[in-house]
Amino acid sequence: MLRQPFTFSGSGGEYFRIWIVNLLLSIITLGIYSAWAKVRRMQYFYRHTSVAGASFDYHGDPKAILKGRIIAFVLFALYSATSHFNPVIGVGIFALIMAVMPWLVVRSLRFRLHNSSYRGLRFSSVGKVGEGYLIFLLLPIAAYASLGLLWPLAHQQITRYIRNHSRYGNELFSFHTKAGAFYRPYLVVMFSMLIFVVGMVSVAVASSVKTSSAAMAPFVMGALLMFYLLMLLLVYPYITSRLQNLIWNNTTLGPHRFESALTARGLFWVMASNIVLVILTVGLFKPFADIRLLRYKLEHLALLPGADLEDFLAGQQVTATATGEEVAEMFDVDIAF
Amino acid sequence: MDIPAAYYDGRTARRHDAQLCVEHGKLRIMTADRQREDDLRTVNIPAPLGNAPRLIMLADGARCEVADHAAFATLMQEAGLRPSIVAHLEHRWRYALTALVMLLGIIAASYVWGLPYAAKVVAHRIPDKLILAIDQQFLDAVDDKLLLPSKLSSARQFAITSRLRALQMPAGARPPARILFRSSPKLGPNAFALPGGTVVVLDEIVKLSDNDDEILGVLAHEMGHVSERHALRQMLQASVVALVMTWYVGDISSILALAPTTLLETRYSREFERSADAFAAETLTLNHIPTSRLADILEKLEHAHGVKQPTGQQHWLDYLSSHPATDERIKALRGQR
Repeated sequence: MLRQPFTFSGSGGEYFRIWIVNLLLSIITLGIYSAWAKVRRMQYFYRHTSVAGASFDYHGDPKAILKGRIIAFVLFALYSATSHFNPVIGVGIFALIMAVMPWLVVRSLRFRLHNSSYRGLRFSSVGKVGEGYLIFLLLPIAAYASLGLLWPLAHQQITRYIRNHSRYGNELFSFHTKAGAFYRPYLVVMFSMLIFVVGMVSVAVASSVKTSSAAMAPFVMGALLMFYLLMLLLVYPYITSRLQNLIWNNTTLGPHRFESALTARGLFWVMASNIVLVILTVGLFKPFADIRLLRYKLEHLALLPGADLEDFLAGQQVTATATGEEVAEMFDVDIAF
Repeated sequence: MDIPAAYYDGRTARRHDAQLCVEHGKLRIMTADRQREDDLRTVNIPAPLGNAPRLIMLADGARCEVADHAAFATLMQEAGLRPSIVAHLEHRWRYALTALVMLLGIIAASYVWGLPYAAKVVAHRIPDKLILAIDQQFLDAVDDKLLLPSKLSSARQFAITSRLRALQMPAGARPPARILFRSSPKLGPNAFALPGGTVVVLDEIVKLSDNDDEILGVLAHEMGHVSERHALRQMLQASVVALVMTWYVGDISSILALAPTTLLETRYSREFERSADAFAAETLTLNHIPTSRLADILEKLEHAHGVKQPTGQQHWLDYLSSHPATDERIKALRGQR
């Protein structure tokens, strides 16, 4: 069947107008309108994204999002206030947040997917909270404890959990790779970063031996910082493109497959030009930059239909609605994936 | 009037071509194989989002998408429905630019006045016992490592302390909680105030001074910091600036946010230093001590720390510095009598 590329019909100028008015309203209302602004932003991205002649939609209820934001704000304020005065209580609150976090992530996935639709059919998430604790808490802790060596494995498991438990209509998504496939791009990154770090350290040591004047210090610091940013700028597009391609090329939805053809070079040019323009415009270009990046990523993604696309049916529509209402009553926590 | 639309029934992903019209408060949708009528009051018509197709969401999960905005507007008029205010604001560049100007104004005003005022109010409300705990943490961390016990005789320490306690303070000033003497070859001649009201005096600055008035000048400056709770306010203000910066720039790179954050934070620092100098000048004058004494010791400190600054010019590094240029401070102090 014919390859169906994703397209994005939004424009930077159009988005800027929406973004600036919503930002002003959010600030004037001391953040309360921000929940409505978020819904509008998501709807802008979803409704301007289309594939196979139809676009997506987002149905999140701003009130549920507002509740989630208030709770997140309270937790954060509590944590930063107490950790200044009494680090022991601060650590306790941090541990509490960590204990609750996987539950929040699973909730948030359900909310996000249930409120996304394509051609009028909703997505859904069927992941269980128990497995969520293993995937979102234990694995990242293990990765951290192993100084990052287990992180590619954790990333692969997280991706697998999310995709294998996501559904469109009555069909489940599926994701198949071996953990080894994730290790390759990460190893390239770790190796290059090692080389950069060795370079930076030798520059730092050499400069501290030569100069003793305090006036040189900011220049050396500045140079090191620029060097570090340059390294990030080279490494980040590489790993983003490799991982996005790996993930989408191995994702299937029933008989349908996906194809992602991002290149590190292409992504680098978009990101580098974005950063330069954001700096030159003292930050005003940022909404345009976000749209540019999203368009680039979307337009290199395509759907390879294996059968008639119209044959999807609403999956367990009745159950979905009931769960949906329960989820919509609870809060949505802003967790970006 | 009939307008063309795409109809999705919410049960399958199939797209149906349809014609819409409005009659007597009802929306009629006609497709090839069926027709439906819905009361306009049960129908949800979301606000437009840029040039994305206009949507009509029906109560049972079905939806219509209309690409022709003009035709849709006519339909809305026939139905007697008015467009949303927010969408109207987002649509025209004139409003977007007005919003931009207002936003920049609000942000500048918050940075210069709003945040410092809020931090001041909060800092003065925090109970003394709580912040004294922060001081103790700091001292526990640095005592016997960075700060060594003082080698001054107890008579000398007593003399300085009693002269300090005997000083007449400006109206409403908070006296220091306690005065501690330490020695630090690493830090050299220095004296500083901790957030909770502890003032630490180092042996090296006592040695550097020619008379007790100079020490009192420096201590008066530090007491200015304590009385106005500068350290606490700086902590609050810096956290908010860092938070806002990370939110805005953070998804590009949290390191990129560092430079503008530091630049903004040091301005607050310099304001506090000027304020402490003014407090010191007021205190010295109240006690009939010439303010030039403080200028004298500042000059000596400059030489002791080996920093040579070009006199008279505003060096660009000053904007990175947490203190106003020393000769600016010295001039201000000598100017007053």
